[in-house]
Amino acid sequence: MDGSRQLSTRVCTGAQWLLQALEEEGCEVMFGYPGGAVMPVYDALVDSSIRHILVRHEQGAALAADGYARASGKVGVCLATSGPGATNLLTGIANAFLDSVPMVAITGQVQTMVMGTDAFQEVDVFGMSLPVVKHSYIVRRAEDVYATVREAFAIARSGRPGPVLIDLPKDVALASAQARAPRFKHGTDRRGESEGLMRARALLATAKRPLLYVGGGVGMANAEGPLRSLMRSTGLPAVYTLKGLGSVDPDAPFNLGMLGMHGNPAANHAVQECDLLIVAGARFDDRATGKLDTFAPGARVLHMDIDAAEIGKLRKADVGLRGKLGEQLPALAQPLQISPWLQRCRELKSKHAERYDAPGEGVFAPALLKQLSEAGGNRLIVASDVGQHQMWVAQHWRVPRAAAHLSSGGLGTMGFGLPAAIGAQLARPDACVVCVSGDGSIMMNIQELATLKRYGIPVKIVLLDNSCLGMVRQWQELFFAERYSEVDLSDNPDFAVLARAFGIPAFTVERADQVPAAIERLLEEDGPLFCHVKIDPRANVWPLVPPGKSNGQMMGCAA
Amino acid sequence: MSVDFHIELDHSEGALLRLLGTIERRGFALLNLAADKPDEESYVVRLRLAGERDPLVLCRQLERLVEVRLVKVVPPPPEPPPPPGFQATWL
Repeated sequence: MDGSRQLSTRVCTGAQWLLQALEEEGCEVMFGYPGGAVMPVYDALVDSSIRHILVRHEQGAALAADGYARASGKVGVCLATSGPGATNLLTGIANAFLDSVPMVAITGQVQTMVMGTDAFQEVDVFGMSLPVVKHSYIVRRAEDVYATVREAFAIARSGRPGPVLIDLPKDVALASAQARAPRFKHGTDRRGESEGLMRARALLATAKRPLLYVGGGVGMANAEGPLRSLMRSTGLPAVYTLKGLGSVDPDAPFNLGMLGMHGNPAANHAVQECDLLIVAGARFDDRATGKLDTFAPGARVLHMDIDAAEIGKLRKADVGLRGKLGEQLPALAQPLQISPWLQRCRELKSKHAERYDAPGEGVFAPALLKQLSEAGGNRLIVASDVGQHQMWVAQHWRVPRAAAHLSSGGLGTMGFGLPAAIGAQLARPDACVVCVSGDGSIMMNIQELATLKRYGIPVKIVLLDNSCLGMVRQWQELFFAERYSEVDLSDNPDFAVLARAFGIPAFTVERADQVPAAIERLLEEDGPLFCHVKIDPRANVWPLVPPGKSNGQMMGCAA
Repeated sequence: MSVDFHIELDHSEGALLRLLGTIERRGFALLNLAADKPDEESYVVRLRLAGERDPLVLCRQLERLVEVRLVKVVPPPPEPPPPPGFQATWL
């Protein structure tokens, strides 16, 4: 039903208009937590078709909405009350902002007459969230609620996606009014694009060592197909960022792997040697580039992005193309004479192939992740937390498409994994969603095990437990003279017992010979399942570009 | 290095806060600001900013704000002539 046709005659409360607009935007699931100022919305929710998932902390709501959006391509929706409910959402909103995830976050607010008086549970979430939203609203009239929601969705999903906050005072949610029609802003400036494309093609035609640098923008633009076609037709080799993982065909012969701090040496060396860097939906993030002024030192740059503000922000582009990657990438296709370069890429890839023959009886996490992802195949979606395990997933998990890998790339939010997996599973009930977490990260949102149990959400959790904050410990070992400071977590709870206390079946793996049975159980068993894996606390993530160094100066790899 | 901007934007709640916050977070200091409200629906803002980063990148970062309609880097207005007998003193 298109409710906008009835706007001129119907009178509803602000809360009812909010839900009607959400329904018309196709919102089927929202994640939230009730409280005083948002009670009118929860009251209206009783009559709504939208499925509300009650999380156990508002941060879980925002991160679940984020995971839902990443897995589905739709706008994720979260809802919280004013004050602490709103501030608890902020980390998840920031996470969505840094990774360009479409989200609408709705917060209750105190009544307009007491706003600005330090009323109970009043915070200026509009002001607090300004740096981490694409846009935001305080709705001050019931007649504006419907249009605001519709406009917020349009903004969240258009261009470079991002989160939009709607702060809804309680009296506005309770007031009745007719709704005004939304006012959508349109317009894409395509001036100069055809000329830029010609220059881009000319750059590529003259390059001897061209290389694709693929970012998260490719997946978000649904441009995986065009990218893969371009690679097949031209033979162009590619490297990718953490968020670009899955956009490049994992089986492509010139998929050189992830670049950057924990990237594949083949990828990093190829970047350093290329003479044309074709940047597709990436932003020269410092984790990808290492020391920026030494990154791709001999390369000209062709930068393509939906967001013009990214072009030239950190590295000057010889040609910058603002627009849709799905249209731009095919336009680059042409015969290339780059056989010597492809031979060099072949050599790099062969020389730096991953090894999984770790000695000892303990569990080698990279091998477990590789085996699990290969056994699960294309039906798997992995939601990774943040830390060493996140990098192991990026290095060793076979990711067949971008939406099958959920990771907090920009903000690096410990605690992302479990709620994101919940969101992804609800978005994709046909998928087998695996949350890979660490013993530091899992405790950041452990309460969401209760959400798994309540709704019977069949997320499989693989907890890689090294009894410490592994990534921080690794840096203290390597760059702070082994002065270990506040990284010991050896007093962790027994995670299997903890999971069972939430009603989640759980088991523990301590030896490599237990891994095959664990993988089988994870892939075969219905319902949620918690696999607690004990790993060596001394294990490090290799290779590594030391901070402040060039990507050509990696530690822990063949020279 | 200082640079002058002419910006036109919607008159909506938080628009100026969002604009000025973006400018400062992106590494520019505000040296001078003049804002006018020519009608009920718009602001016109003239800013002088100081910063080491590329002002054209800032232009694009401001253009993507939803309320912003137009951003232009403009030449600084001519200095008014000093009054007779005035001698500038720099502290």
